[in-house]
Amino acid sequence: MSMVETTPGAWEPKIVAFCCHWCTYTGADLAGLNRMNYPANVRVLRIPCSGRMNPQYALDALNKGCDGVLVCGCHPGDCHYSTGNYFARRRMLVFKRLLEYQGLEPERFQVRWISGAEAGKFRDTVTEVVEQVRALGPLHLNHELVLSGMEVE
Amino acid sequence: MSDIQEAMRSRAKELLESGEVNAVIGWEAGRFENQTTPLITSQAAKTQRLVFNEYCVNNLGKYPRDLTAKGKVAIFARGCESRAIIRLLSDEVIKRENVYIIGIGCPGMRDRTTGELLKKCAECRHGDPVIYDEMLGEPQAKPATQERFAEIQKIEALPRAEREAYFTNAFSKCIRCYACRNVCPCCTCRQCFVDQRREGWLGKQNNIAENRFYGLTRVMHVGDRCIECGECERVCPMDLPLMSLNRKVIYDINNLFGEYETALSLDEPPSALTTYKVDDVEEFM
Ligand code: SF4
Ligand code: SF4
Ligand code: FES
Repeated sequence: MSMVETTPGAWEPKIVAFCCHWCTYTGADLAGLNRMNYPANVRVLRIPCSGRMNPQYALDALNKGCDGVLVCGCHPGDCHYSTGNYFARRRMLVFKRLLEYQGLEPERFQVRWISGAEAGKFRDTVTEVVEQVRALGPLHLNHELVLSGMEVE
Repeated sequence: MSDIQEAMRSRAKELLESGEVNAVIGWEAGRFENQTTPLITSQAAKTQRLVFNEYCVNNLGKYPRDLTAKGKVAIFARGCESRAIIRLLSDEVIKRENVYIIGIGCPGMRDRTTGELLKKCAECRHGDPVIYDEMLGEPQAKPATQERFAEIQKIEALPRAEREAYFTNAFSKCIRCYACRNVCPCCTCRQCFVDQRREGWLGKQNNIAENRFYGLTRVMHVGDRCIECGECERVCPMDLPLMSLNRKVIYDINNLFGEYETALSLDEPPSALTTYKVDDVEEFM
């Protein structure tokens, strides 16, 4: 992480990954234990279950300067609380579409199921998301842009 | 409509005089020409002020929430009011025995200045009450003149950058008066996240990022419970295209989880986002 910030002037994507405690967070841990390399652009935040993922967390992250958000949970059927990720799946399907509809690039909000054993999948997913977002460039959400006459007939 | 108005006045009077209800919710003439305003009264004499005409633009459906604590209320309900009441009932905000629903068929309401059919009424698919205790006059079976998801499909067809510009422009106008929340029959949380200052979900700044945060969170909170009454969009002083956000969620629910329309009767299956199927659409593998 420090590496990213000590390169002055160069923009580096900042990704926050909301990871379920019981699977993806453990998977990320395993990736670390196995000394796998993955980009330091990702900040892992632990949530108790993907069902705990509040859409507001993602909105807030994007507002506060993150360039992308990744949400990870247990594979459907494997949720520690049995059904949390089934609810999360419905909610995230709808939320992702809403974000894209109002203009966010699809790459900037992604959801993946990654189990505690899938350290490799965690590394690959994170790398992929970082590279996709890097290609898009920084996210400017707060620019004041007032276009007149932008109406949908 | 004038005979309905007469019937409204006499029924309201009877109900109040007999003590069957504590209050009546309807409309009265406003201060301007062709304008009405909600009337809530417990006095039988005041029921003579009730009016019903083409300018009863307010959806009264949320008022029972604030009134049923003191006992039963009678409410005049068109399609939108009746669905708002179903919303309140299924969200357990009010009890069925505390509302007396007097149904009225609705031909669609008009704008006070232009005389045109309101946008929300052109889009409305249920002008007649879907639940009532008694009916005044005949159902109107008003057709919806506007395709339900036409607006959504039009916006979806735009290139991404244009959609971003469209909504950024819209959110930049929002003054966060929260009128859209206050009027919404789904927004009945005792404490709304926008008022939780200490938790700090939302800052006090008025900028696009915060406005977007509010706007999108509102849509997600209302989500599958939106009855598509269009009140939020009607009351917005800054003319934000709020229905094009609310209906987007409903459109996707329709496409992903099957045909969906909420608050049409009291015994509906759980709403789309409060349930799941093991074999739902999978995109996140
Ligand atoms: S009514 Fe309009 S201006 Fe007011 S908070 Fe809602 S969207 Fe913003
Ligand atoms: S979000 Fe708007 S259209 Fe939907 S129920 Fe609330 S006020 Fe009505
Ligand atoms: S415990 Fe991992 S998704 Fe529910």
